[in-house]
Amino acid sequence: MPKKNLYSQRLFLKFIPMMTIAGLILLPVDGYATQLHASSEGIITHQMGHLFFLFSMVALIFTVTGKGLDQQKGWRLIQYSAFFFILWNLDAITAHFFDNQIHAVKIENISFGKMRVITSNNSSVLAWFYYVLKLDHLLCVPAMLFLYRGLSNIVHDQRQMMAKKDTP
Amino acid sequence: MIFSSIPILMVDVLGSVAMVVIALLSLYKATKLREMDPDNAVFLYLLWICVGFTIFALSRSFGHILKQFLIMTTNTETWHAISSYSGSVNTVSFMLVGLITLFFNQNWKINEKILTGRKKLEDTHIKLMDLNQTLEQKVIERTERLTSSEHKCRRIFEQSLDTIMVTDSEFKIMEINPAGIALTGYSRDEMIMKKMRAGSFFADPSEWERISDLIGSKEYILNEETEFLRPDNESLLVLITGGIDYGAFGCAKSYHFIIKNVNEKRQMEQQIAQADKLAALGELSAGVAHEINNPLGIILGYTQLLLKEESKHKDDLKIIEKHAQNCKAVVSDLLSFSRKGSSEMGIVDINKVVDGVIKFLSNHSDFRNIKMTLNPHTGDRLNILGNEQELAQVIINLVINACHALDGKGNIDIATEKTKQGKILIIVKDNGKGVEKKNLSRIFDPFFTTKPVGQGTGLGLSVGYGIIKRHRGDISVKSSEGKGSIFTITLPFYRKKT
Repeated sequence: MPKKNLYSQRLFLKFIPMMTIAGLILLPVDGYATQLHASSEGIITHQMGHLFFLFSMVALIFTVTGKGLDQQKGWRLIQYSAFFFILWNLDAITAHFFDNQIHAVKIENISFGKMRVITSNNSSVLAWFYYVLKLDHLLCVPAMLFLYRGLSNIVHDQRQMMAKKDTP
Repeated sequence: MIFSSIPILMVDVLGSVAMVVIALLSLYKATKLREMDPDNAVFLYLLWICVGFTIFALSRSFGHILKQFLIMTTNTETWHAISSYSGSVNTVSFMLVGLITLFFNQNWKINEKILTGRKKLEDTHIKLMDLNQTLEQKVIERTERLTSSEHKCRRIFEQSLDTIMVTDSEFKIMEINPAGIALTGYSRDEMIMKKMRAGSFFADPSEWERISDLIGSKEYILNEETEFLRPDNESLLVLITGGIDYGAFGCAKSYHFIIKNVNEKRQMEQQIAQADKLAALGELSAGVAHEINNPLGIILGYTQLLLKEESKHKDDLKIIEKHAQNCKAVVSDLLSFSRKGSSEMGIVDINKVVDGVIKFLSNHSDFRNIKMTLNPHTGDRLNILGNEQELAQVIINLVINACHALDGKGNIDIATEKTKQGKILIIVKDNGKGVEKKNLSRIFDPFFTTKPVGQGTGLGLSVGYGIIKRHRGDISVKSSEGKGSIFTITLPFYRKKT
């Protein structure tokens, strides 16, 4: 598992620069001194950031397993944390996809405590789905909580190990 | 569709606060980990992750709370204006977290290297500790053995009845045992502190030269017999064995000597040899005297018969009678020496005999300028079983000999003593010319004399020797040339049988 993981990582790292060079050669465009940025660039960058974060969490889960650290409770909890961050990233990517990328959903505040979710095709399912997606803290807070619990366990284990070492 | 915004608002605000709090708590835990083991690269990695998450939580929570606040306060436009910045910061922060996370593998490898290095270091440390402990144990064992060995050597050195002496390369005394101090008569300080040389003990310096040359050439000497001279001028016969020692590292040259006192042994051997010689001479003398005695009696008898008659050879016969009488006296002396004569034994008080001898001799003209001193034993009577006349004869002989040694002037001390072993000693001491060393072994021989011809028969001491031996006693002499002689007669004390 760890070897495979390492191999995929290396392949990915090689793939990006190769594709970039290939794109520059095969799809030439007019070159300007300063490139103009479209308004959609921000959301795409943000989405790519989420994807990168998601990917790094996946890598963390596999690396922890690969090193056999999942036998320890602390690291297992960190794996759970990574898993919840993956879910949170998926949640965020989906939500951003609907509201910022394809503009299929829009929110309007009617009054205090009331809001209207406007979907492009008036789909109530999409509206409900989007409403649930907006409760993303229900994923990232547990993720942080697992991280904290994981670290607490590692601290505890380390303390015990040191005490054992000090005991003659 | 219309929804309640309260749940979203609540989750958003409370979630944001919770995120910040939990992120800070996680950062605290990661800091603790780092403090516990600052060399652990994985803990450093976790700390960086937590830093990233804290930045992420702070930026995100700040953005969300601000967003809710602005929307609620109908400042939606303001939010739209700053939302791009908030989003960007948020993007950068979680990308940072992602980036840090990807370095886990590298951190893990570094940590493994550190741990392997640490393990090796610990193993080496344990080995070193083990070696150190083994070394300490060995040092303790060796020290114990060395102490034990040193104790044994010290004990041998201190308790040895023979002298053990160590000198430096110039024969200066470095160490000498108590037996050596007793033998040489010098104090330890004199010998060691004043760096006395081994050659100082020798009576004859040429003898030391010979021995030091020998040890220099052969690197050892074995049972070399020589004479030591003590500070009180007493000489001792000793056997020296010695060798060179180059020290544990071969660079500290020293000499080790073992010196054996053979004085008493040699004296004993000499006495035995003397006794054997005198016994043989006694046998010979007895035979000769016996063979001469009878014809001499006949000659003397016939001479005396002829003298009773008137004869024209009367003068010649008197000469024959005189010389025959002389010969008879000599034969009588020889018989006394060889113990063949008969004498009556009785209880004799030695003090009385000695006193009588002194009184008798003090009137003699030869003793006019000689001071005779008597130191008699006081207390109980010094009784022996013997012949008073014979004993008196022996003492007279000794005193007359002392008088001759003084050449008419000097001191003669006569003393009587009783030893704890039940022996009676008669000591005749003079401060005359003494006896030459070469003659000491011969003075009890019959007919041995150093006097001019005609002045002595050489039978006085040998007759005395015979008499004393017949009394189950002994006679010995100590003499230093030019300083005088000491004759000591030892006789057994008589105890009444109860």
